[in-house]
Amino acid sequence: MAWLETIVNGLLVGSLYALFGLGAALTFGVAKIVNVAHGEFIVLSGFIGIMLVGIIPIHPLLLVPLVIVIVFAIGFILQMTLLNRVVGKDPIPPMLLTFGLSIVLKNAMVEVFGATPRSINMGGLRFKGMEVFGMTLGVLPVIIFVISVSLFVALHFFLKYTRVGRTLRATGDEAQFVQLFGVNYRRAFGVATALALSMSAAAGMMLAMRSTITPFTGGDRLLIAFEVVIIGGLGSMWGALIGGLILGVTHLVGLRIDPNSGLLYPDIVFFIILTIMPRGISGWRQ
Amino acid sequence: MAAVTTMLSRSPGRHHLLLMPAVLLVLALCAVAAPFVVGEGLLRLSSEILLIFAMAQMWNLLSGYAGLLSIGHQVFVGAGAYGMFALSIHAGVNPYVAIAFAPFVSGLLAALVAPILFRLRDAYFTIGMWVFSEIVTILVGKSNWLGGQNGLTLSALRDMDPDWISPISFWWAAFAAIGSLVLLAGLMRSRLGLALLAVRDNDVAASSLGIDVWRSRFIAFVISAAGTGLCGAIYFLGPAHILPAAGFDPNWVVIMLFICVVGGLGTIEGPIVGTIVYFGLRQAFATSGNWYLILMGSVAVVVMLVARKGLWGTLHARYGISLIPIRREPPSDKTFGI
Repeated sequence: MAWLETIVNGLLVGSLYALFGLGAALTFGVAKIVNVAHGEFIVLSGFIGIMLVGIIPIHPLLLVPLVIVIVFAIGFILQMTLLNRVVGKDPIPPMLLTFGLSIVLKNAMVEVFGATPRSINMGGLRFKGMEVFGMTLGVLPVIIFVISVSLFVALHFFLKYTRVGRTLRATGDEAQFVQLFGVNYRRAFGVATALALSMSAAAGMMLAMRSTITPFTGGDRLLIAFEVVIIGGLGSMWGALIGGLILGVTHLVGLRIDPNSGLLYPDIVFFIILTIMPRGISGWRQ
Repeated sequence: MAAVTTMLSRSPGRHHLLLMPAVLLVLALCAVAAPFVVGEGLLRLSSEILLIFAMAQMWNLLSGYAGLLSIGHQVFVGAGAYGMFALSIHAGVNPYVAIAFAPFVSGLLAALVAPILFRLRDAYFTIGMWVFSEIVTILVGKSNWLGGQNGLTLSALRDMDPDWISPISFWWAAFAAIGSLVLLAGLMRSRLGLALLAVRDNDVAASSLGIDVWRSRFIAFVISAAGTGLCGAIYFLGPAHILPAAGFDPNWVVIMLFICVVGGLGTIEGPIVGTIVYFGLRQAFATSGNWYLILMGSVAVVVMLVARKGLWGTLHARYGISLIPIRREPPSDKTFGI
């Protein structure tokens, strides 16, 4: 039973990992940008959340949509003013630009928020447990799981059935070609990055609820995000969800076997999966 | 035809080819003499500059010339250094000599992991490289033989004359820096260099011309890892102590990347310019704490926005100047009988 509990907890934390990856998958899928500053945006959103919780006296979970909107705007401006200037056939310039951006963001956050670990005060909710089929699960991780999976579902329907969603998918397939249909692909990139960062905003808020964050937390989260995206197959949404869940379970099971192994087992699983399927889970059939 | 003629007129004359060994000889003589002229503090800084430059050049070889963008190169810095420490501690090899074996350790590591990493393409490779370096970092941290989280101390150095430590590391550093220049210039004038450029620009077209894509990349990868490992070993001679967090610090690759990006990825002169900018910023703003890092990141962003090929790369593209000519003479008009 204890093992089952570990696996279920792994799935719960894995949903958050999947959400880290979802943003990265979206930026890559549509704008073909490998966003190295993704981890920093996750942490920045967490800090925005921490600040807002201090100002607005409502439950932190209700602040998630507000942070999503704020970060959506940041993402749109970022893509329109900076990233769109360097996108093109060569994938390296945008990657290097976001690399510079990640250094700036990380150290600016150290200046503004300091380096001490902080988290969002969840009151009694943080350590509340509940009994499910004989397992003791945290209430907060379950809530986070539900929110994460809902975001996946919401994004799925958005991309599949709305006009903007279709435009984004078409731009992802043929950025030059969609111009013939009156689509401004740069704007589409802007919306994609904005959406991607909104997903990481939700993830960052929930990360700050579950555990603590510092400006240096971004690096590890970026690694997880990248692993998730690549296991899933670059640009694939459902691949990202499966990738996140696999990594979450491996992480917790690994930590149970070998307490000070850090991300070792997820890293090894990442390599094994890629050796078998070099294009990730969703690229398996191609 | 106009394009070819301008290229011809701009292409380096033959006297440049003789000039280069002369310049190198002067540089080498300066390096030999430097420890007797320069004070201890400046000597250490110079060693660091030379090592960082050589590392950046090795990263440039892989990412700029072979087109394999690596964000896990710190693994080779640590591997070389740990290799040198382990040889000295567990096999009793003189540390100064053990440095010479460091490139074999990091090169071997690269050769072993290449078959897995090379299955991954583009961004997949880049991130695979990072994950690989994370795995090695954690494993070294768990290995008692390599000192675990407490790291290793180069105790053999205590029995040596302390006055010679800085000069010898400086000479090694100078060897690494000049060696990296010679290696890169030589490589890029060879068949392999041409093959690498062809593979970088279009691997499918290159392989249709009969170039062994895998083999060219493999050689570049192993050389780059070996050179980086050598630099790592020399660097950690100074502190005589290594921790997993220091040897495998991601900041190593951040610095290499910064230097190449700012100077110009895929040019030999670029990292020279990049190294000057990096150390200039560092020395000028070192006391300002985080602001210097913020500035460094901003410089990288601005360079990407206004001069995407880096400072030197942009100059080169606009005016065709090059200090270390590697471009071949294009076939003259007569070859075609025009």
